[in-house]
Amino acid sequence: MKYIINIFKIENKIKVLSLIGLSAIIFSCTEPIDLTVPTESPRLVIEASLDWEKGTLGNNQTIKLSLSTPYYDTAPNPVSGASVIVENTTNGDVFIFNDQQDGSYTTTNFVPIINNTYNLEVIYNNETYTAQETLISVSEINRIEQSREGGSDEEELDLTIYFDDPANEVNFYYITFLEGEDLLPTREIMSDEFTNGNEMSLLYEEDEADAEDEILPGDEVDINIFGVSEQYYNFLNRLIEQGDNAGDPFATVPTRLRGNYINPENPENYAFGYFRVTESVNEVYTFE
Amino acid sequence: MNHNKIKECIEACRSYHGQKHNKSHKGYCNHDSLVKPLYMKYFISLSIFLISNILIAQEEYTIRGTISDKTNGETVFGIAVYLKGTTIGTTTNEYGFYSITAPKGEYTLVISSLGYKEIQEKISLVKDIRLSIEITEDLNTLDEVVITATEDSKKLNIRKPQIGVTTLSASTIKIAPAVMGEVDLIKTIQLLPGVTNNGEGSAGFNVRGGAVDQNLVLLDEAIIYNTSHFFGLFSVFNNDAIKNVKLYKGDIPAKFGGRTASVLDVRQKEGNNKRLELNGGIGLISSRLTVEAPLFKKKGSFLLAGRTTYAQLFSGLLDDLRNSNISFYDINLKTNYEINENNKIYLSSYFGRDVFNIVNLIDSNYGNISANLRWNHVFNDKLFSNLSLIYSKYDYQIILDFDQLDWISDITNYNLKYDFGYFASDKLKIDFGASGISYNLNPGEITPSTQTSPINPLTLDQKRAFEGGLYVSADHKITDKLTARYGLRHSTFDRLGGQSITDYANNQPVIYNQELGIYQEGEATGETAYSKEQTIEKFGNLEPRLGLSYVLTDNSSIKGSYTRTAQYMHLLSNTASVTPLDVWTTSGTYVKPQLSNQYAFGYYKKFNNNAYSLEAETYYKTTQNRIDYIDGASLIGNNNIETEILNGEARAYGLELMFRKNKGRYTGWISYTLAKSEQRSFGGNAGGPGINNGNWYNAPFDRTHDISITGVYKLTDKWTFSANAIYQTGRPVTYPVGQFEYEGSSVVIFNERNADRLPAYHRLDISATYKPNRKPNKQWKGEWVFSIYNLYNRQNAASISFNQNYNTGVNEALRTTIFGIIPSVSYNFKF
Repeated sequence: MKYIINIFKIENKIKVLSLIGLSAIIFSCTEPIDLTVPTESPRLVIEASLDWEKGTLGNNQTIKLSLSTPYYDTAPNPVSGASVIVENTTNGDVFIFNDQQDGSYTTTNFVPIINNTYNLEVIYNNETYTAQETLISVSEINRIEQSREGGSDEEELDLTIYFDDPANEVNFYYITFLEGEDLLPTREIMSDEFTNGNEMSLLYEEDEADAEDEILPGDEVDINIFGVSEQYYNFLNRLIEQGDNAGDPFATVPTRLRGNYINPENPENYAFGYFRVTESVNEVYTFE
Repeated sequence: MNHNKIKECIEACRSYHGQKHNKSHKGYCNHDSLVKPLYMKYFISLSIFLISNILIAQEEYTIRGTISDKTNGETVFGIAVYLKGTTIGTTTNEYGFYSITAPKGEYTLVISSLGYKEIQEKISLVKDIRLSIEITEDLNTLDEVVITATEDSKKLNIRKPQIGVTTLSASTIKIAPAVMGEVDLIKTIQLLPGVTNNGEGSAGFNVRGGAVDQNLVLLDEAIIYNTSHFFGLFSVFNNDAIKNVKLYKGDIPAKFGGRTASVLDVRQKEGNNKRLELNGGIGLISSRLTVEAPLFKKKGSFLLAGRTTYAQLFSGLLDDLRNSNISFYDINLKTNYEINENNKIYLSSYFGRDVFNIVNLIDSNYGNISANLRWNHVFNDKLFSNLSLIYSKYDYQIILDFDQLDWISDITNYNLKYDFGYFASDKLKIDFGASGISYNLNPGEITPSTQTSPINPLTLDQKRAFEGGLYVSADHKITDKLTARYGLRHSTFDRLGGQSITDYANNQPVIYNQELGIYQEGEATGETAYSKEQTIEKFGNLEPRLGLSYVLTDNSSIKGSYTRTAQYMHLLSNTASVTPLDVWTTSGTYVKPQLSNQYAFGYYKKFNNNAYSLEAETYYKTTQNRIDYIDGASLIGNNNIETEILNGEARAYGLELMFRKNKGRYTGWISYTLAKSEQRSFGGNAGGPGINNGNWYNAPFDRTHDISITGVYKLTDKWTFSANAIYQTGRPVTYPVGQFEYEGSSVVIFNERNADRLPAYHRLDISATYKPNRKPNKQWKGEWVFSIYNLYNRQNAASISFNQNYNTGVNEALRTTIFGIIPSVSYNFKF
């Protein structure tokens, strides 16, 4: 029933509202200012992305723990001394992640199995945080095409990736593009609710925000596609929206982004971040 | 005799109203049957009261007629008409009609209003008299700029039980300096106490802590759904076509219904019936032309007004906007024809459009269209009536070239209204009538825009509804000092079938995820289909309205009021500012009608023969069933809005002060508002603690302090200067309280909803008007208006967003400001 929403989610780049907002922006000016903002006491952040790249064994995995920091701080706040364990609840296998004393916890014997469910348990400061996810598969990229006409800017180089969506199942995708020396990737999400069983396509063009850094022949783009759960798709949707809102007078009221961690003993003391288990495809494309 | 007639009329209206219902709720739940006996009881007791009143009056005669302006024949609204030396009197209604009943005798009839020459006419009231009078502008006051020209009659307004109402004439609206010289009604009313908006570039306005969709905006009685061009930068009302504007801030008369916060009643000019008149203006943004002329040997007249921005206004401004078209235009039309003394018909219409096209990206346009056919009929000396058939529509279309999709959405309504004014006696005036509105909502229809488009055509559920209203209201002078107004409105709302409604497990469209502490979509279990003949849901509400005024001295009074209002239509919007793409929805299975109670109390005083006046009002307002949105709600193109909302409540209270100088070379006003507006939502059926843990939080339009100073100084016949100064507490927003790192990016941790505020908003505007010739016999009258908006170039934040810099990776606070200092010049002419 929610097809139209999906169209808008698919085309996250074309944010209708921000476009419409342009007419207000014609008269407007957006600039950085010095603004004092409040600070809340730190919370645990668990970045647990167990991605199994097609064609690899997927044995080496890292989970990062940190504490949240004041908004303007630039230094990270890594957490060591925690216990991090992942269990495959489908077959009972347990993987212990070793503390590297720099905020990262690693294992070298993780066994990824499609459609198996994994449970993460982190114990830190006598509080236990848990989350569950199922390893979701992803299709190969069929082809990548480059052009100049595809995007909103007719002079800019752009590329389109194509991949098959399996029929008879509901699929969600997370796609990242990292071009050249860009600091941050361009994030996209897609759902097949509108295009189930078809060949999916997604266009990538450098963001306006980055106009000076024009794409030239010879530039490389690092492309990753992840098969993700609906819950993670929703999480990413809000994460992306939050990042896109700069200067948009019609942005929705911002809200706190909660992941999938729960703290059963002390629900108030929840953790940020997300526990995902995915299959992924990586491809590096060089513009011609 | 007369009361039978009223009863007949009401019965007639009632049976019309009733039929409509019966048709639509065959075999469905009938909770109206509970309501009807109750309101019949009210009705009967009111009738008895009326009869007794009429019986007491003896040997009385009536004088009635129409008051119009001598220069152009426009009927004048709100002119005081009274009998000298008595407290018997009235004010003209929207059609210039008055009727006064008094005991047999000799009187002097006084017609008076600021800005017009007072007329005194000796009358011998030994029989019923018809007397239509033309009044002329007061030449002695031409040196002054008259503000709030109407209803400021010297004796009467402090007696009227109406509280929280402001009338503005087109000339008052013009005096305030405007952005780019575009005179803007919506901006002018924001200078009044209790009225604010969400800053520059946001559509609509907020009254007494109410939301934008809680204002009933009427242009010649037609509902206007979107009041702005250019996303709030300019209003849709072309001032040249407007006669006057009445804003009811809370004590909403019983004849209005359907919105809880305010009524903005805008009336278009009827058109000059004496001679051809041209009005126009050339500004930086747009040009205007208005033509008025008599028709049918001065039995009628017309007005046609057009306004348009210059073609491709901004295309040269920015390189990115080459070959783009960003513009707006609007057309106002009004004609009238006087069949005879007792019958007059009017046709008025509005058409406005915004166009926003950017090559290769987006093609969009949106706007309102309305039409109203009216028949004024005077039954007899005491009974005035108006029948209106009104059509109104708001729609938008977006073609996204990139996605090859074409999206349209609209809301249409037809409204049939019959209103009566019965001037029963010198102590009693009764208004009553009925209204039926049929709504058709098309929340979204999507089609492929090219032949190769992969988009499948799709239509969201069309919604249909019928809103009925029946009211009686009496202005009753109980003693010389005490006047009361009792009103009662009965409103009904039928959500009509012709679509399916989704069912949810445990009847929960939204569920609380206990583990994650968030609200999310419930589980759909199926659908219930309703045929076009069925009613999905029915609502009925009794809305009492009560006002009392007590005269303390000749120059001061106190007033109190209680108003209950119901609102069945809701605008879905969870963005900081209302956007043109926001969609209206009806009350129904999962969305309940908003019900509001407002208590207001006021003190009014005039000084120095009305040269100065002071108004102080306080109010307390509660609203049930205010829609609130769960975190991250997605509203656009959503067929199942119920999965994104909770029914909450709102409350607002405040103190409003207004001090005015009404006469002299220097005129103006200072208004100050101290207010609070909050809302909260418990989980209710969805479980959980509710939004923001069920705590009260600031409504987006909460402003603690709001001060406006407006002044006009008439230096010479040629030069007039004016200025505005505005200070407002910043609007509530949500700031970060931290960040966390995720996948190499910084993610903002936001505070509780609306827990922070933008920096205070303030600015100063000035303008000068130069009239090169003041020779009264010269037809062509021109004037230059020079203005500077935001004189000291204050960088007011329209919004502040929080982002990680794309190039440096450092977190920033980004402030978006809309208008800095803007000088402008425009030329207006009159012929």
